[in-house]
Amino acid sequence: MTIPRAQVGTVIGLLEILRDFHGKVDLAKVADELRLELDDILPAVDAAKLLKLIQVNAGDLILTGEGTTLLSKGISGRKRELYNVVSSLGEINGILNFIRKEHGGTVTKEDLLSFIRQEMPDVDAQQTFSWIVEWGRYALLLRYDDNTQKIKLAKGPTKAS
Amino acid sequence: MAERVELAKLVELRNVTKAYGPLTQRPHVVLEHINLTVRQHEFISIVGPSGCGKSTMLRIMMGLTKPEDGEVYYHGQEIGRVCEAMSMVFQTFALFPWLNVQENVEIGLEGKPFSKEERKKRVTDMVKVIGLEGYEEAYPRELSGGMKQRVGIARALVSEPEILLMDEPFSALDPLTSTHLREEVLHLWENPDLPPEAVVMVTHNVEEAVYMSDRIIVLTTRPGTIAREVKIDLPRPRDPRSPEIYRIVDEITGLIA
Repeated sequence: MTIPRAQVGTVIGLLEILRDFHGKVDLAKVADELRLELDDILPAVDAAKLLKLIQVNAGDLILTGEGTTLLSKGISGRKRELYNVVSSLGEINGILNFIRKEHGGTVTKEDLLSFIRQEMPDVDAQQTFSWIVEWGRYALLLRYDDNTQKIKLAKGPTKAS
Repeated sequence: MAERVELAKLVELRNVTKAYGPLTQRPHVVLEHINLTVRQHEFISIVGPSGCGKSTMLRIMMGLTKPEDGEVYYHGQEIGRVCEAMSMVFQTFALFPWLNVQENVEIGLEGKPFSKEERKKRVTDMVKVIGLEGYEEAYPRELSGGMKQRVGIARALVSEPEILLMDEPFSALDPLTSTHLREEVLHLWENPDLPPEAVVMVTHNVEEAVYMSDRIIVLTTRPGTIAREVKIDLPRPRDPRSPEIYRIVDEITGLIA
């Protein structure tokens, strides 16, 4: 499973809380502080771990160098960091390649759903599609127009600024 | 004592009382004898028990509703109508579901005398600043709460308001998302190149108020009067778990509870 399945904002929020605790804190303490159940935080924890922004060690969440770098950037810088990290995830990379190679940069939602069903038979395709759009949009990897139901590769983040 | 440069007064509420129905019937008085000055470069929060008239204060400031008694001055003048130099961010985002992100942000320029190109440029710039790049064609139904509120904030800021009013802007968000968005709003606030000149935020979350503000106005229960003003001189970024913050949070919570 190499698609982050949590909202971008919750993942960055988690990193910010970790930073407040000087980079290391017990997972249960985070839940307690936020008055949340563990189950409510786990998706963000799993996604952050998948993106190598945190490490999990015996119940402790530890901010990684990559996580610290991400936090040190402004909004555009964070998008650039995530552009690199997210596009290198196996399944996302496969999807980007599918859109690029077989469809010249644009596919319909239906095309992508069939690809997901075929490549990842164990997951809910619709849900997976939503997570791809969530991270793809934020990291400027792809654009999706729900009116035309078309998904296309984005130009990516601009270099300067 | 060192001399301090007086910062410009942007808005002043003088002896403002807001009531529904006849003034003689106490239960209908929402706000009473409110005196408040919002100065340049101030981030002010208004806290208080529910029903104390916090949101009404914002609406009076902006000119959306008139006080029964007292005056509202904007740069020393009574204007008596909706103040164009202020915009509001709402708890429930207040987006148009049939408009995409770009179009929802552009609504903030309605009635402003800009050319089509100028409009487009302003929207594009604001979308980028607020982190909505990549979401331009998305509809509200496709967005998480955090992203919806970014649209609400972008729409409020695109007209470059002098004062940004925020009514419980983070209350509808889950705790992780609100942590993140608070941080980003503070980032924007610390950028001197960006509007606004002042922020007035209503919140029931005392920790949030202490973490973010330069000054906190604590209201009493209905009718809302100012119980206390608390200045917070701690430098930013602040550590939300520092003893100083805890002490101020406790002090204010004690006044409200």
